[in-house]
Amino acid sequence: MLRILDIAFKDLLQLSRDFKVFMFLLIMPILFTFLFGYAFGGFGGESDSRLPVGYLALDDHWVTDKLHRLLANSEVIRLEESVLFSEADLEKLVAEGDLAAAVIVPQGYGKAVVKDKTVRLIVIADTSVQAWTTVKAELLSAASRIDGAARTAEVMENMELEGVPFDYAFDQTLSAWEEPPITIHETSSLALEKANLANRALAHTSPGMMLQFAIAGLLTAAQVIVAERKSRTLQRLLTTNTRRIHVALGHYLAIFLLIFAQFSILITFGQIALGVNYFRLPQATLLAAFCAALCISAMGLLIGVLAKNEEQAIIFSLVPMFVFAGLGGAWVPLEVTGETFRVIGHLSPIAWGMDGFENIVARGLGVESVLIPSAALAGYGALFFALAVWRLNAAEEK
Amino acid sequence: MSDLPAIEALDLRKSFGENRAVQGVSFQVNRGEIFSLLGPNGAGKTTTISMLSCLLRPDDGDARVMGRSIRSDPSGVKSVLGVVPQEIALYEDLSARENLTFWGKMYDLRGSKLKARVDEVLEVIGLRDRANERVGKYSGGMKRRVNIGVALLHKPQVVYMDEPTVGIDPQSRRNILDNVVRLKNEGMTVLYTTHYMEEAQELSDHIGIMDHGKLIACGTNEELVKLVGQQTRIDLTLNAHVESVAAAWREIEGVSHVAAENGVATALVNDSNLALPHLFEAASRLSARITSVNIREPNLEAVFLHLTGRALRD
Repeated sequence: MLRILDIAFKDLLQLSRDFKVFMFLLIMPILFTFLFGYAFGGFGGESDSRLPVGYLALDDHWVTDKLHRLLANSEVIRLEESVLFSEADLEKLVAEGDLAAAVIVPQGYGKAVVKDKTVRLIVIADTSVQAWTTVKAELLSAASRIDGAARTAEVMENMELEGVPFDYAFDQTLSAWEEPPITIHETSSLALEKANLANRALAHTSPGMMLQFAIAGLLTAAQVIVAERKSRTLQRLLTTNTRRIHVALGHYLAIFLLIFAQFSILITFGQIALGVNYFRLPQATLLAAFCAALCISAMGLLIGVLAKNEEQAIIFSLVPMFVFAGLGGAWVPLEVTGETFRVIGHLSPIAWGMDGFENIVARGLGVESVLIPSAALAGYGALFFALAVWRLNAAEEK
Repeated sequence: MSDLPAIEALDLRKSFGENRAVQGVSFQVNRGEIFSLLGPNGAGKTTTISMLSCLLRPDDGDARVMGRSIRSDPSGVKSVLGVVPQEIALYEDLSARENLTFWGKMYDLRGSKLKARVDEVLEVIGLRDRANERVGKYSGGMKRRVNIGVALLHKPQVVYMDEPTVGIDPQSRRNILDNVVRLKNEGMTVLYTTHYMEEAQELSDHIGIMDHGKLIACGTNEELVKLVGQQTRIDLTLNAHVESVAAAWREIEGVSHVAAENGVATALVNDSNLALPHLFEAASRLSARITSVNIREPNLEAVFLHLTGRALRD
């Protein structure tokens, strides 16, 4: 046991002196998390998940202002306004998909509402898209509230005994909607949390880049193993009472500690700096990280044993990185791919790692959802480790 | 027990596919002596040492190191053994001290004992002042010294040194040879392989000559030289026609064992004064210009030439 620890400590000492280790394991994943996170709308203005709706008011009545306030405070739509917008501009933006819809308040709208005359808001929309239903419901709701408030105020103003001024009654009626007797909050799942696109982008990118660059970082660890074999230092080790299994376990332990430390740092960084909720279920996150580190470390050992020289170690690390990361959904979520690709993708251990982490940080599932991905990762780890030890022993016979 | 030889190789055999690297090698090394295995590259020296180090399992035969069998007690063999490989088998991104500390642990040294031995070995190899520099920044000679130092950490009873002076400067070479003699004086048994005849002659109590996987001669330096009688070796470096000149020399009386290699014609002669004019005349007759002449009294190289018909070149 002591020999295994000694070999692991020696490896870590060697690796700590290689700048590439820090570059691949920490700097690159953080940079790429920002890059992919930004590309997928994880930062800045794109974080508002409400549907963008153009707004153009051709009327300056106070009722129109009330309508504007209602729409601007909507939890479903986000008003996109500009004094430069024309009707034609709005049509173009809707046609190009930049806006979910556009609403134009015609001149005389406010006055018509007060006088109970028929007036229609002008809405520009592509009615074939799914978002239209949502926008339509929200616009109808706002327009109905304005109309309802106007009618109520009219009745109250015309009451014979204690007539109430129209605008006061209008405001009171409208604000009554703010505190309805029954309020329904959606709490059946974490769907509300999921709806936050910013969190979702980072919840995918953060574990994706972490897993991808854990594999990339293997090239440094593999190079240590290759150099040991090439310089025949391994042979020398075997002239002491050190056995091959000690050597394999020592190297494996060093890579595992390195990868697990990387995960710990990046998970903490993701939680604190990016708001990715890894700590929602700390024990599940720990299990997923532990099993992912077991698997990737064994892959590193196998690469080190298979590679004949440093160049091969680089190739053997980077090729699986690209294949496993791409196939396993580290770049693009497997949910958006077809069923066949999803099945094939799960040949990659990265897919199981992504499942494990995303079940916690993106899908809001429980601890049990991490068990199968963790078992799959541990299984891959056992397979890679067995292959590495077999290959190492086979080399002895040559 | 103490009368037992330190190393006893018994009909060791090892093949790699069709290549029969070692073919029935047997020899014995007494305790506290330096035994050199001399032979050209590819003679089977390293394979023999690898089997004696329990790195390679012999196809046949056995060996005992301090009474322990390499087949049945490899762990026991390794515990009394220090191995200096031909390559610089060190971690170049660690310092000399870090390397020695790591290897000391592999030899089961711990704590204050380990620290004390590392300091002692650094003193012996003359690198105490530069102990904290990374080995990768050392010269070839300094690396060789650390390479040897590693094998001495646990004060082994037997040390194998596989061509430890290859590719280093004369000063470092001298240092290493002095250390080998010092180890012997401290009571260690040294098995030393080399293809440098001078080293074998200078260091060894006994010498085994290997070629093509076989031990073709074994004995003290004097015993081996006697094999070629009092013959003198003459090397003529020629600008051309080396093979033709060598063929012509074979017809000259008093000349035995002629070889031609790398522009040099070599002959063993009974009397150099009588033979030289004839050798020159043959070269002249074949229009080969003589660019240098080297005459050497009987030595191990002559023995090798005598036994194999080939020169033992660096």
